[in-house]
Amino acid sequence: MPAHVSPPSTALSSRPAPIRVALVEDDVTFQAEVVRSLDTASDMALMGVASSREEGLAMLSQPAADVLLADLGLPDGSGIDVIHAAMTAWPACSVMVCTALGDEAHVMRALEAGASGYLLKDVGPDNMLAEIRSLYAGGSPISPIIARQILNRFRNAPLAKTLPHTNVDPSAPQLSVRELEVLQLVSKGFKAEEIAVLMEISRQTVMTYVRRIYGKLKVNSRAEALYEARQRGILAT
Amino acid sequence: MKHGNAAFWRLSAALAFVASLVILIGGVLKEEAANEPTSSQVKHVVAADALVLSPARPMPVSETVDEASLAEASPEGWQAVALPSVFKTEGLAPGLRTTWLRVRLDDLRDMRGPMSFYVRQWFAPGLLAVYADGHLIYRSPGSPVWNLFRHPSLLLPLGYGADSQLPKTLLLRVDWVPKQIAAVSSLYVGAAQPIVTMAERRSLVVEQIPFMFSAAFVLVGIFALGVWMFRRQYPGHLFFLIAIFSMTRRWHFQLGLERLPISDAWFVWLTLNALLWQVIATHFLFAYMHGRRQPRMEKVLLCIGTLLSLVTLPTTLLPALPVLLSLRHMAQFMIILVALYVAVAGLWNAWRARSLDTGWLVVVYVFSYVCGVYDYLTLMNLRNAEFFTLTPYSALFFSLTIIYLMFLRYVRMVDESEKVNATLEERVKARETELAASYARLREVEHHQTLSHERERLMRDMHDGLGSSLTSVLRVVQSQHGTDVALQEALKSCIDDLKLTIDSLEPVEADLLLLLGTLRYRLDPRLQSSGITLHWDVVDVPRLDWLDPSASLHILRILQETFSNILKHTQATEIHVATGVDDVHVWVSISDNGSGFDLEQARQRGGRGLANQQRRAEALQGEIRWERLATGTRMLLLLPRNRLLKE
Repeated sequence: MPAHVSPPSTALSSRPAPIRVALVEDDVTFQAEVVRSLDTASDMALMGVASSREEGLAMLSQPAADVLLADLGLPDGSGIDVIHAAMTAWPACSVMVCTALGDEAHVMRALEAGASGYLLKDVGPDNMLAEIRSLYAGGSPISPIIARQILNRFRNAPLAKTLPHTNVDPSAPQLSVRELEVLQLVSKGFKAEEIAVLMEISRQTVMTYVRRIYGKLKVNSRAEALYEARQRGILAT
Repeated sequence: MKHGNAAFWRLSAALAFVASLVILIGGVLKEEAANEPTSSQVKHVVAADALVLSPARPMPVSETVDEASLAEASPEGWQAVALPSVFKTEGLAPGLRTTWLRVRLDDLRDMRGPMSFYVRQWFAPGLLAVYADGHLIYRSPGSPVWNLFRHPSLLLPLGYGADSQLPKTLLLRVDWVPKQIAAVSSLYVGAAQPIVTMAERRSLVVEQIPFMFSAAFVLVGIFALGVWMFRRQYPGHLFFLIAIFSMTRRWHFQLGLERLPISDAWFVWLTLNALLWQVIATHFLFAYMHGRRQPRMEKVLLCIGTLLSLVTLPTTLLPALPVLLSLRHMAQFMIILVALYVAVAGLWNAWRARSLDTGWLVVVYVFSYVCGVYDYLTLMNLRNAEFFTLTPYSALFFSLTIIYLMFLRYVRMVDESEKVNATLEERVKARETELAASYARLREVEHHQTLSHERERLMRDMHDGLGSSLTSVLRVVQSQHGTDVALQEALKSCIDDLKLTIDSLEPVEADLLLLLGTLRYRLDPRLQSSGITLHWDVVDVPRLDWLDPSASLHILRILQETFSNILKHTQATEIHVATGVDDVHVWVSISDNGSGFDLEQARQRGGRGLANQQRRAEALQGEIRWERLATGTRMLLLLPRNRLLKE
């Protein structure tokens, strides 16, 4: 299927620039639903649609989008590659991974690759638009399991330093006390609004914390990968 | 340390054994003196006639001598003298003297058999000759320089045959000079066998044992020197030097004069300097042992030693022998002073350094010193020609002490290295334990990873397969303008179920709140769209170690059922979720403000939901209760804090 590229946005000067959205998705019905939903939103414009990894990578040579929706399971490879490439091609772009079930393994991998949010495919049109707007505004969604996984990831990093034959980059960023607090509350089932009240900050700040946490996770995942590789090296011998 | 102590005591016991051996030797010797062979076969000669001549030049040692002509040459003639006899040499005009001693053996004329003659010891700066009935039977070798040195005892056969007879008269010729010591002990004449036994016994104690130990000490010294060659911090060279000097010093005690293949002058030089250098080497050994070195004093000692060695060198440039002999007194006095300094400095430094080993060695050294000085002074003012020298034994004791200290040192070093090995072993063991723990941790991590990879594979499968298909079908049904609401609901329920299953597989790590949070995260959109406010009143609860995926799924289904009951059957607007803990339970409660439902009625309606919930709660070894509230219902799920193992 050829890349479906929409013409450049011709937004009226009186209105704020619309959120430019690009989509990499092989599921035709979901693709259609996204296209339909975006049509109804006056503040969003679809920049392009790709239905394979190859098309997705090709699309990155086009002008940058603000939000990239990417599926991971593509017919000719992983959407992770597209997300990686988007990090360099479209540095200002926020990546949202599309997932049917929002399970931990998929989401963590996407977050580590640089995604800052994820979209459950069965959310329905209204929620979908709200999620895109929230992401564009700098907020990131987070589930209790993901919060716990990130906590573990950052907790294991100092452990890795004490283990023999590991060489974790000591400059890898650590989570701040507030960020840890947010993650702990999320993992206990509290929602952003409740956390905002408990921590006496705004909901948007909570979302921003989460975005920052995702950023650190991405940086740390590289050190983590090194650690895991070494660990396997030891265990293999 | 225990080991070291045991070795210490063993070696101490060995030393005590050697000490008692020495005492025993002394005892034997004393007994010897007490029980002389005074049988009828042996005559202990304690009286003789003496005749002193002052020849202008040394008389030749002729083959025969005539008693009568001797008496003619002497103005005083034969005079009775007691043996042992120390010749009066003071206050005489200089010049050679020859003393003749005459012993009459007439009373032993009846004896037949092998006969012997024994002179226990004699001192003289000249030769000794023995005549039997006027015929020369012995003449001492060497030259007339051996003053101060104790000559070896003299054992002479007087007859070998079974019918041999003793001579009638024995004449002893002793050459001497004034101001030098000259003396002759008592004599033994008679049957060969008891005399030879006595002489051999004495020789063993006085000469052979000290000589054997001295030689052994030299061997130890060579060994120590070898060690020093490879390990310079070990004072092996000092042990070696002390051994060699000690041996050289005491040659004259242990070897016959005739056995030394060097000239008299060099012999005097050697023995004198050996003593001095032995003292200096001992000083260096002390310094090494107590560690308090005094470089300036050491240099002074080395200078004194070198100077004395040079001055006493028997070269043509230096004084002739007689001058050397008198110089020797000065030199000996100097050595006594140096040795005294070494003793005092050694004691002081050993005390300051609190070095027990050094202290011990210094004490033994002082003992040697005292013995040496005692011997020297006794010789200088000789009163008894049969006096017994202590130096060989004190030297023996000193050597043994040094050997003992070397052994002690060796044992300590072995002990030390064993200890080092032991600590090394401990450290290796500790490190091994550490590594084992580390590997165990890594294996655990790996196990965890294997599980999570497996889970990931399953998830991917469900995600890409079943999950995708279901959402696609749902979307297709929805796109047909939502005619079949029941089908849509069924599909949504399928997807919810799948999500629930997946959530139960998520790693909740025994954390109930995380599981509840995950459920909430799933249900939230549905609750929001139903306009229900959810109050999250949870508190931290203890870990539930039994919370595996299967248990998680039970809990999720129980709670999901509760939520869907509220959504379906009540018109609740608010739901409170709370957690808590008591002694044996962790509980979860879900209460709503809806119209409530009659439990009995619900059951009677064939509410499979409630029965399922109860069954699941039982499977968890927990309990589920429903309570009617003023408004609404409260579901209480009690979970065991510790689950019993199933048979």
